[in-house]
Amino acid sequence: MRRRVEIGILHSSSGDYCAIAAASRAGALAGVSDVNASAQSFIEMMPVLRDPRGQVDLYAPLCHDILTTSRARHVIGCATSSSRKEVLPVIERHGATLWYALPYEGFEASDHAVYMHACPNQHLLPLLDWALPRFGTRVHLVGSNYIWGWEINRLAREVVANAGGSITAERHLPMGEIAVASMVEEIADLRPDFVLNSLVGTTQYAFVAALRAVRPDLPVLSCNLTECELPRMGGAAEGLIAAGPYFAETGTGFANSHAAAAHASVIEMARLFERHEGGEDMPLAELLALDQGAGPIDFETHHTALPVLIAEVRDGAFQVLRRLPPVPGDPYLARHDRRAPARAQLRLVP
Amino acid sequence: MSRALNILGLAGARAAILHRPHPTVAAIERQLAAIGLSANASWPELVPGMAADFLFFDVDMGFDAQFPWLPGQSPIPLIALIGSEAPGRIEWSLARGAHAQLLKPVGDHGVYSALLIAQATFAAQQSLSAEIGDLRDRLAGRETVVRAVMALVSQGLTDEEAFARLRRLATDRRESFEAAAKRVLARTDSLPVRKGPR
Repeated sequence: MRRRVEIGILHSSSGDYCAIAAASRAGALAGVSDVNASAQSFIEMMPVLRDPRGQVDLYAPLCHDILTTSRARHVIGCATSSSRKEVLPVIERHGATLWYALPYEGFEASDHAVYMHACPNQHLLPLLDWALPRFGTRVHLVGSNYIWGWEINRLAREVVANAGGSITAERHLPMGEIAVASMVEEIADLRPDFVLNSLVGTTQYAFVAALRAVRPDLPVLSCNLTECELPRMGGAAEGLIAAGPYFAETGTGFANSHAAAAHASVIEMARLFERHEGGEDMPLAELLALDQGAGPIDFETHHTALPVLIAEVRDGAFQVLRRLPPVPGDPYLARHDRRAPARAQLRLVP
Repeated sequence: MSRALNILGLAGARAAILHRPHPTVAAIERQLAAIGLSANASWPELVPGMAADFLFFDVDMGFDAQFPWLPGQSPIPLIALIGSEAPGRIEWSLARGAHAQLLKPVGDHGVYSALLIAQATFAAQQSLSAEIGDLRDRLAGRETVVRAVMALVSQGLTDEEAFARLRRLATDRRESFEAAAKRVLARTDSLPVRKGPR
């Protein structure tokens, strides 16, 4: 008889960034199916799903709901950093664990969270290292008006300044805003060498379409763009460049890095729960202490080592231009081993 | 004054924690490790000869003799660990020159912002002190400048010419106006002063 383990899944099926949330939820559910279908598995995972519908203030109450109406103590979810910041206090109060599997801006290492996707030393810094000598050092920054856009642009400004470059301008638009004309006009006037695009959801789709109409050849780089959003941009997405730990290529198993990271999260949860009986009820720190570094999660940062890929959209799919070996997550960019090779590596492809 | 933070400059920094063994110390150490700083806790004394770039110090049980420098003159940024919010203790923490604070009990947050705020406040204080020191020196040098100009005038220069010469001397040797004036005085003091009408 298999042990039944409930896990929370907190992702939006509607709202501005639902394409990303759907990709992540699909990856988590595929992970649950794989665990349950495995003949070697001692556990049966039961997902407890809640849908905050893209509304930031529904995340905390729905997380509370998972933790009080089910036995789940591990929750995978949240797409935006604003929703993660809402959920973490609830997670901490219950001694629960949040598995966050999307790219984010770093500067966080909660004792109650695992960060399974890339942080800036795994996306922004290698992307700028690659782009500055290639395209030039006059950089234009655009982003959505919340912590992701603000912090990515703040960090890009520091890195570009250290490299002797300059910022032509930094502009932010509210989530969901599609009036992008003046933002695009300004870029056409200022003629930067490239644009760093940290826009999210519908704003990004509108921006890319409008910019392509006037500056078809201007490089546009992103740390949060994956395959799941390409259909929403159609032909305008051609030539967009993105950094990430994974892109769908021949022989890979997932549609995008959100699905791959969410799947890897569930597989790692299952490994921890099987190896340590009752692990599903333990606080994360206790569980990782018992596990003694057998898995991919760094004991100190709760981040993982991830490969860095830089890819360009060609004929509707990402083609990898640059592939760097895995680097450990360094959320505060203050660790010595920032660019050293990884010890344990996260396997994104099972 | 620019308060732009240099976050990439934190790499490789070391922190000392002046606190008795306590869960608060463990919480700070955990956060420091995640950030990437090495930590060294001791009580009641600092480890002699230990190099540190930041000092966390206990305000509840701390005392002056723990610090090998005068109050307000720490060579590194200081972060006060405040448990009891009693005015006397807060006064003592201010007198020691805390650049940032962290309230106890310390949980999962707070260390990173305390580090950045302490670093920025310390840097601002250092640059203000240097500026004030420089202004004080120049204020003290005012009398020297007046005497040097008078000495040059008494040798037959107009006051405009005297100022121009001092400025040129200072530029040539890349020194302050006041230092040039001091040199002029040292030289002219040994020369006979021309008396009477020009």
